[in-house]
Amino acid sequence: MIALAAYRDALSRIEAPPGLAALRRTHLRKFLQAGLPDRQHEDWRYTSLAHLEHMPLHAPLAPTPALLALEAYPGELRAWLDDRPVQQDVPPSAVLGALADVIGAGALPAFGSLAPDSALARLNAALWREGASLRVPAGERLARPVFLRFAAAAADAMLHPRVFVHLAEGAEAILVEHFLGDPGIAYWQNPVTEIALEAGARLTHLRLIEEGPLATHTGLTAVRQERDSRYQALNLTLGGRVTRHELGVTLAGPGAEARLDGVFIADARNSAEQHVRVVHQAPHGTSRTLYRGLADGRGRGVFDARAEVQPHADGSDARQSSRNLLLSPQAEIDVKPQLVIHADDIQCSHGATVGSLDEDALFYLRSRGIDTAGARQLLLEAFVEEALGLLDAAGLRGWLMPRLLASLPRARTVEVRP
Amino acid sequence: MLEIRNLHVSIAGKPILKGIDLSLRPGEVHAIMGPNGSGKSTLAQVLAGREGYEISAGSVRYLGRDLLPLPPEERARAGLFLAFQYPLEIPGVANAQLLRTALNGQRRARGEAEIDAFDFLEFVQDKLALLGMDESFLYRAVNEGFSGGEKKRNEILQMAVLAPRLAILDETDSGLDIDALHVVARGVNSLRSNERAILLVTHYQRLLNFIEPDRVHVLAGGRIVRSGGPGLALELEAKGYAWLADAQTVAQTVAEEASP
Ligand SMILES: Nc1ncnc2c1ncn2[C@@H]1O[C@H](COP(=O)(O)OP(=O)(O)OP(=O)(O)O)[C@@H](O)[C@H]1O
Ligand SMILES: [Mg+2]
Repeated sequence: MIALAAYRDALSRIEAPPGLAALRRTHLRKFLQAGLPDRQHEDWRYTSLAHLEHMPLHAPLAPTPALLALEAYPGELRAWLDDRPVQQDVPPSAVLGALADVIGAGALPAFGSLAPDSALARLNAALWREGASLRVPAGERLARPVFLRFAAAAADAMLHPRVFVHLAEGAEAILVEHFLGDPGIAYWQNPVTEIALEAGARLTHLRLIEEGPLATHTGLTAVRQERDSRYQALNLTLGGRVTRHELGVTLAGPGAEARLDGVFIADARNSAEQHVRVVHQAPHGTSRTLYRGLADGRGRGVFDARAEVQPHADGSDARQSSRNLLLSPQAEIDVKPQLVIHADDIQCSHGATVGSLDEDALFYLRSRGIDTAGARQLLLEAFVEEALGLLDAAGLRGWLMPRLLASLPRARTVEVRP
Repeated sequence: MLEIRNLHVSIAGKPILKGIDLSLRPGEVHAIMGPNGSGKSTLAQVLAGREGYEISAGSVRYLGRDLLPLPPEERARAGLFLAFQYPLEIPGVANAQLLRTALNGQRRARGEAEIDAFDFLEFVQDKLALLGMDESFLYRAVNEGFSGGEKKRNEILQMAVLAPRLAILDETDSGLDIDALHVVARGVNSLRSNERAILLVTHYQRLLNFIEPDRVHVLAGGRIVRSGGPGLALELEAKGYAWLADAQTVAQTVAEEASP
């Protein structure tokens, strides 16, 4: 049973922007008719959101006083706590502002048109609050990365961060989205980010899920790319009880390029799911999907990726690679790579493997005097490194690596042979 | 330094080593020769601490300690080094990273200060020069895409950096061209001293022309069937397969007598 009252109550307290009120009600009505997705749905067969129905979910009225400390970010930061902006001292600029204001002013015609009509995207469309808007004018290049930090601090909060990114022709930017929350509470983040890249625009997008161990995260990123634009993404899932990211990329203009990298770590009893959909609509598009997955304890990972080359998207090049490591006998990772081809003269490949840590390599390192924990660490770092190529170009290695290394599963005590 | 007594080892219930006795004193170089499959690598791997072997009888003492209960990293930190017959490729881990992590792991264990990146580079450059290796090898992933001979040289580079008390070289000479053989021999000889011992597993007299052993042992059918001075290797070279066939017969006979 869905907590109808909670959703209706959340909606009743949203005013801005006024023009969207009717649309929000429609979205909520359709969401309530369909309910939360369940395992009957093919794309949801690995995920259960049943626990959400037993939580007293609510949209927090005001930011909780227990403010999560704001760490330093190497760029321009906008932060939200429980869906409320916390850094009021930074004036909104034409480039980076509140989404509600931008829509209220009549801008962003594409808003809402990129995300799919899924139940959770509808819920977000009904209940998002201020949101964030990043608009880079034609030919401009943002000097510093933009960080959007979405944190949860109220127990049983249900949060619907909404981001709209528009890069005009030839514009360039680096965007980092960081999702996190109080480790001691259960909450649900259901963010939606829409990204429109005009001809020749270039976006590097790092998305970091670092939720608390009791948190649920059901995120969606929808990207539309025009001619010769380039979208480079690094999706990292380092924490959260139930986490799921859907990434949909449409190569709408000829010669568009998408590079989709990712690392996910599912330990304890966590589940971490990656669903990637790439659609080649125009000729000579290139897509590269490269994910590395780690599961430890009773963790469960899912890598589900589909690249579709539509008719007339001739000369497309679509490649997928997914390598996964199981670090304990109870860990599990399901991989589902798919290529659907309807055009000619295509280059496609996909490879997906699930294995365990190479015992021979471990022994080799230990025989040089490196202890088991150190040897494992070296091998795990090397394993994920293959997917981290974007960090250097984006200048984000120094910011990200300590977080990533701290999240790598620790070595358990090893049995010493008598 | 190393005392192996009546060592019996089997793999998945199949006896491989059937009572090895061997002792090395500091300063000594011993060679182990013997036919394919006789158990030479098994002995080397057991000494380095690889898991998955059943040690059904016997003991190994190293520097006065019981070696067998120690995990591989502690053996390495106590100065034992194995150059692998088949060095592993470790994609994503740079050679320099392995060398420095290993060296510092060992230094920490000995209560010495860790060596910083700058001093390390200077230190390792000397070793590279000794082995005629280009500095670019430091930044490549461990053994990945290395030629057979380069992998063997890389093992010797690791040995030169770690400066072990007891080095076990498992067919480091196999697959080397003549120049590389000289280089490897130079690496090994540079390490020879009164405090160190070296165990060379080899199929060829060739290497022993450059590194003269104190003792030569022939391992066949899981036993040492003959031991002698450097002359034994020459004798082997001269008498060749006929002699080895005899050795195998001896070993087989013994094995058959042992099994009911
Ligand atoms: N993991 C294993 N499982 C089963 N048998 C094994 C295993 N490892 C080694 N053996 C067997 O043990 C025997 C000894 O092997 P080992 O590698 O020690 O020989 P070797 O003397 O080093 O030979 P070579 O000169 O060819 O290197 C061989 O018969 C081999 O097939
Ligand atoms: Mg061998």
